[in-house]
Amino acid sequence: MASEQRYLLKVEDLVLYFQTRRGLVQAVDHVDFHLGENRAVVIIGESGCGKTSLTRAIMRLLPRNVGRFEGRVYLDGEDIMLLDDEEFRTKIRWNKITWVPQAAMNALNPVIRVGEQVAEPLILHRKMSKAEALDRARELFQYVGVPEAFLTRYPFELSGGMRQRVAIAMALITDPRLIVLDEPTSALDVLTQANIYNVLKKIKWELGASYILITHDVATASELADDVAVMYAGQIVEMSDAESFFKEPLHPYARLLMASVPRLHGDEELEFIPGQPPSLLNPPKGCRFADRCPLAFAKCQEEPPMFRVDGRMVKCWLFEDQGEVVIREETPAVAGD
Amino acid sequence: MTEQVMTVGSVEEPQKESQARGGTPTWIRVLRYTAVRIVMLFITVVIGVYLTILIANMGGHVDEIRRAQIREHVALMLQNDPTFRALPPEARQKRIEAEVRKAEKRLGLDKPFLVRSFIFLHQALTLDLGRAENMTSDSGSRQVRLIILERLPPTLVLFGTSSMLIFFTSLIISLALSRQYGSFWDRLFVSLSPLSAAPGWFYGIFLITIFAAWLKILPFGGMISTPPPETTWEYLLDLGKHLILPIAAQMLTSLFISVYSWRTFFLIYSSEDYVEVAKAKGLPPRMVERRYILRPTLPTIITSFALSLISVWLGQIIFETIFDWPGLGRTFYQAIQVFDTAVIVGITVLYAYLLAITVFLLDIIYAIVDPRVDVGGVQSTTA
Repeated sequence: MASEQRYLLKVEDLVLYFQTRRGLVQAVDHVDFHLGENRAVVIIGESGCGKTSLTRAIMRLLPRNVGRFEGRVYLDGEDIMLLDDEEFRTKIRWNKITWVPQAAMNALNPVIRVGEQVAEPLILHRKMSKAEALDRARELFQYVGVPEAFLTRYPFELSGGMRQRVAIAMALITDPRLIVLDEPTSALDVLTQANIYNVLKKIKWELGASYILITHDVATASELADDVAVMYAGQIVEMSDAESFFKEPLHPYARLLMASVPRLHGDEELEFIPGQPPSLLNPPKGCRFADRCPLAFAKCQEEPPMFRVDGRMVKCWLFEDQGEVVIREETPAVAGD
Repeated sequence: MTEQVMTVGSVEEPQKESQARGGTPTWIRVLRYTAVRIVMLFITVVIGVYLTILIANMGGHVDEIRRAQIREHVALMLQNDPTFRALPPEARQKRIEAEVRKAEKRLGLDKPFLVRSFIFLHQALTLDLGRAENMTSDSGSRQVRLIILERLPPTLVLFGTSSMLIFFTSLIISLALSRQYGSFWDRLFVSLSPLSAAPGWFYGIFLITIFAAWLKILPFGGMISTPPPETTWEYLLDLGKHLILPIAAQMLTSLFISVYSWRTFFLIYSSEDYVEVAKAKGLPPRMVERRYILRPTLPTIITSFALSLISVWLGQIIFETIFDWPGLGRTFYQAIQVFDTAVIVGITVLYAYLLAITVFLLDIIYAIVDPRVDVGGVQSTTA
């Protein structure tokens, strides 16, 4: 089917388990997903479902207690999981993939001037002089809406919104192919959030960057998203283009998740999902959502495969009749065109 | 890439504020900060010394006692005087009063205690402590000031060398241990940290017993052999030899607890988000460690080091006595033994000064390593 070159990023069978005293925590469990050029995929899901672990696995930012870490991650057709740590550091990190971490407010070193921190990757990866790199940082500060004079300030002298913009400027400095945004606006007020999203949209239109955006905030994310991936208990349960997803989510979990998003107008009561997500220590054998699923039936005791339904992918037995099973090696071209 | 941002309200802070900041050059702000710190510390020293004076004089009660002593003494003296006994009672009373006043004036007791306390304060602060009662300096002077100043350099040599060594050794070891958290060496240092429960002089006794009395490879104490070596090289070598045991004792008591706590600071700071970002930025591991772990942690470490230095100052008296080190601490101990009040008060004042200087130097270093210390610039106003 689709050749791998059509995707900027293609993740296959990615596994990241953490070793703890009580056993293996299956934070990322056999995840597949892909992302086309100049597209944005939004990963949504409850806290603790493995969203952040997924991005950390892609960036290879692993804690000490990794129990199992394997899979294939193709970036521009190259499997970056095969690179050794030193190659990964010099070729991938901040050259091709940049990152705006969760609570980007704390992404800046408190004792180094922000301009230097933003310019640092250019000096390191592009062998620029400090003056050149700072000039480039100055341009980016303007671009994301930070006054130039802030270049010589320390992070504690900047407001939360400004620090967020600086973190985004830092992620743009090397003209990366892919920017990973881990809840970039979760600590900010609504107005500032809207401003940041405008900046992100502008970057996508004008600079052609692609995003992986992680968020709980479905409403604001919908503005930026081309594709949506829904994560539940360490697995991706639905992956679909944004338009059809926001119109009609397929997976029962995704439906309930969307029904629990408050709307400004409208009388319908907010729904909630009873129960709690399963522990990732010993997740249930079959479908991991079965215990909380209102539509569960006998077959849910077995683990469902990914079904392809109208070019969308969903991991649920309800779609057994409507879709065909997705076989790992030939992931269909949902995105990228 | 240089388009103006069109989104409404994207520039949250006005430009004006950032220009205001460039108003005063950094060195003037640093100078002002330094001056303010000096004044504050001097006030602290003044208050400390004045409290010492008040306590030593029991808030003026000592003056009352001395007045009563003078009156009794004068009366007794006059009783033995035949001309005095011949006087009528009124004239006798007058004569006693006159003699008492003369004696009080001679001792300065005619002024109220409040005034006298400030005279004492001035004398103490300028180290104008008059003459020692029993002690002399090595050059034979009885001036308290000379006795004390002569003892200052040996104390500074010992204190300075051991502090610097402990600081840098602890820093290097704790950084290395934080890198291999949970390893054998890490657990060894953590389990040895209770060694710091005993003071330096305690280990001093053992070290002297082992290396001086038993193995006979290092001197028992003192700063320089007698007679002193002639060339500068040999002198320094000899000094170094005498420094080994005191520094080892100080290390035994300070090193492990410092390494234990600093390693914990490093571990805490290395889990900060900006360290992860630095790794994601593809910085080499050593650069991440230096710029993103060591530098942000330094202010915390310096605070912890300052606290330990203050306690080392306090332990210096017994420490120097054990090692027969010709410094202030040993002199203090000797002064107590011979009841030389002037020397005791003088050293107390000098200790106050030394503590203040230590705190001052650490303040300055702190301001250099941590830009968040407000050195008197325009206060940044961020939401």
